[in-house]
Amino acid sequence: MFSEYSHLSDEELVLAADGELGSWRAARVRAHLAACWTCRARMRRIEETIAGFVQMRSHLDESLPPVAGARARLKAELEALAQSTNQRRPIPAALAGRPAAAAGAALALGLCILFVAQFGSRKFWPASLRAAAAIPRPNLTPGAVRPVLKDQICRDEAGNTAGMVPASLRRKVFEEYGIGDAEPTAYEVDYLITPELGGSDDIQNLWPEPYSKTVWNAHVKDALEAHLHQLVCSGQLDLGTAQQDISRDWIAAYKKYFHTDRPIRFSGGLRRE
Amino acid sequence: MSAHQSDSAVGLPFSAARASERAPSAVEEEVIQLFDQFRDRLLRYALSFGLSPEDGEEIIQEVFLSLFQHIQRRKPRHNLQGWMFRVAHNLALKRREANRKAARNAGESSEALSARFDSANPEEQAIHFQRQQRLRAVLRALPEQDQYCLHLRAEGLVYREIAEVLRISPAAVSVSLGRSLARLSRADGG
Repeated sequence: MFSEYSHLSDEELVLAADGELGSWRAARVRAHLAACWTCRARMRRIEETIAGFVQMRSHLDESLPPVAGARARLKAELEALAQSTNQRRPIPAALAGRPAAAAGAALALGLCILFVAQFGSRKFWPASLRAAAAIPRPNLTPGAVRPVLKDQICRDEAGNTAGMVPASLRRKVFEEYGIGDAEPTAYEVDYLITPELGGSDDIQNLWPEPYSKTVWNAHVKDALEAHLHQLVCSGQLDLGTAQQDISRDWIAAYKKYFHTDRPIRFSGGLRRE
Repeated sequence: MSAHQSDSAVGLPFSAARASERAPSAVEEEVIQLFDQFRDRLLRYALSFGLSPEDGEEIIQEVFLSLFQHIQRRKPRHNLQGWMFRVAHNLALKRREANRKAARNAGESSEALSARFDSANPEEQAIHFQRQQRLRAVLRALPEQDQYCLHLRAEGLVYREIAEVLRISPAAVSVSLGRSLARLSRADGG
């Protein structure tokens, strides 16, 4: 490739300057440069041009905003994100293994954010965490129950009743809601009627619930489910009514059973009375 | 679309109960560390697209939020630097395109937008001024791909990493850099 009699190409000079040549080729280039003033002068010009380019970019440094604010904001957002990932329940981890290429998924998320940012909302929260509504669509997720008796529900520990939903079904739920490309970890595939209240694994009872910072999020619904379970098992509420209320409008049910218009803050996670 | 892609092959030690994810707090810490390390370089690169500092900052936030998910889900991390630059690159492209579209709709010329990178620093020393002007003119005339290569190289990426960011071959990177540096150098040295 390198003839001792012909000069080095621009590409070879740049590769050599950048240390991108293998040792054998690098040695050949060094030998040629040692012998050839012309190429050495060209090499020097290239180095000067690199310096000029770096100098030209220096104004970019001057327009960098101070890092402190951005760092603090990122920290706050990461904490919120970590918390919502940390406290989630039934089905979560299984979603993590979706096959989209890492960059692709992250990119989809990023672009999604960008899309939303562009349309007015300048909040720095991943759009996919905000995109889905807090309430499932009744035509897609009317809710479905399995034939169980109250006693069975109250005997079972919550963990025993919440079976794993197969990955294929989870994907179907995503597709059904038109978010097949969304970042899977941004959503929990949640039961509308929780298994603790006799809800089934039917697709009609599953919907993608965003792990977002919205007021009516998965954690709030967790609290409602625990509360209803307790009411049913203590005989204060009929199981059918509980199922109906939570499937019709779980936010309304929350307001009704907690006698409040806003979610109550529970320190240390869910309140189980 | 297999749902059973294994992320655990990455093999990082962790004690979380969930087999395919890492503990969020540990990931959070790592992301902040990477932010401290890479923020300026990524932001400079985003700004080289002619974006405003505000747009650039927003993009960088998005890069690191995505990075959190990327790391937490134990995605491949042999080249996190390249990964971050690639996400930043794609977001910057999108943002620039959106800005141009918005400008078109508002009846502005897209030149006004891309002028940001070209605008000379008023405090620039007179002695450098002409040289800078010449270099800028040549740079602007280069194919976009060549400009990306130059900026990525200036941010310290090696050819293999540049190739990954731009999804081209390392050979194409060296051809591009050789060509554009030769052009810049001719304009520079006269």
